[in-house]
Amino acid sequence: MNLNEAKTWLLIYRPGTADDSDPQVAAALALARTNPELGDWFAAQSAAQAAVRAKFQEITPPAGLREQIVSEYAASRKSVAARRALWLAVAALVLWGLLAIWWVPRPARPPADNPLAFYQSRMVRVALGGYAMDLTTNDPVSVRAFLGQHHAPADFALPAPLEQAAVIGCAVRDWQGAKVSLVCFRTGRPLPRGAQSDLWLFVVDRGAIKNAPGTSSPQVAKVNRLITATWTDGSKLYFLGLDGAEAELRQYL
Amino acid sequence: MPDSAEFESLVSRFYASLYQFAYSLTRVEADACDLTQQTFTIWATKGHQLRDVSKVKTWLFTTLHREFLDSRRRQTRFPHFELDAAEADLPAVAPAAVYSLDVTHVLNTLAQVDELFQAPVSLFYLQDCSYQEIAEILGVPLGTVKSRLARGIGQLQQLLARDIAASQPPSNL
Repeated sequence: MNLNEAKTWLLIYRPGTADDSDPQVAAALALARTNPELGDWFAAQSAAQAAVRAKFQEITPPAGLREQIVSEYAASRKSVAARRALWLAVAALVLWGLLAIWWVPRPARPPADNPLAFYQSRMVRVALGGYAMDLTTNDPVSVRAFLGQHHAPADFALPAPLEQAAVIGCAVRDWQGAKVSLVCFRTGRPLPRGAQSDLWLFVVDRGAIKNAPGTSSPQVAKVNRLITATWTDGSKLYFLGLDGAEAELRQYL
Repeated sequence: MPDSAEFESLVSRFYASLYQFAYSLTRVEADACDLTQQTFTIWATKGHQLRDVSKVKTWLFTTLHREFLDSRRRQTRFPHFELDAAEADLPAVAPAAVYSLDVTHVLNTLAQVDELFQAPVSLFYLQDCSYQEIAEILGVPLGTVKSRLARGIGQLQQLLARDIAASQPPSNL
């Protein structure tokens, strides 16, 4: 190491620090101890460097900086906590909404793989939804004649009690290409305002409903607000609906 | 975010030295305060990513320096004097003359040193960091730091000597 190299290393030496653990600085310091010229230069440089260092050490933070940093951090923590709480609330609300949508009872729409249920549902809607009778008459023979003329099932066989019920008319409806006979009866109870009938019989060819029951024993079930009975007889599917109680319905079976 | 007590302890430990470094770079008290505060704000949000807790100090200084460089990029570059590389034969600087200067003058002189050398020279004089730590803060190899320190200190001494000579009354001939 020559003198110029040593001066370079001594220039970056800071007394009282670990700088002298650097091998090149340590070598330069050793040389300064043995070379008077370098020693004098180093002494002068050390004094000048100490003066500059002292100037840097004069830099002091303004009063209150520490407190300001800490207080702003505390405020930001609160803000972050509040934002987090808000997001959690929003997330919970969204989750609740999704769950609600999932669990809310859906409109009773029969699945496509259950044509009978679909048929029953639609026929009940016809009965309750307000319909126009194609023929208004109290004559059962006229009803069958009208239905036959319109290619709807007319040769149906009714349970004896239903044969005695008061017929008031009929209509023809379509179901997926098949004609449906609608025969309207009155039970004799007071009717709701605007209603014409409170007992309805739907007859369709059995083949029109894939999963039509294979039994002639009526299956009673509630569909929408009607109590209903479904059975087959021969080639026909019968669907009877009553706006009333099950016991009353059974009086017609 | 870190625990409040933990954060407060960290601030107490490092805010003064970070401020000194920031002030030596910006020479404006408000800017230095902002840089110091911004450094701790970044620590609050990203400090948890630091796995080696012994590196907190260098992490903070590195962050402050990066923030300073980012802010400088957004500003007009400060013109500086082009000086020769450090020379072994530096002009003699009288310590008494340096002591008579105020810190602002010294920092304004530092601002005239090649920009590349300013940060290492500040860290050098603040005495908080070893060569290795300065290298880590600036993201350069150890040898590069030593070279920049020698050249930066040389430039600063040349400029201080010039200023001191200019401020002295002319001698009677």
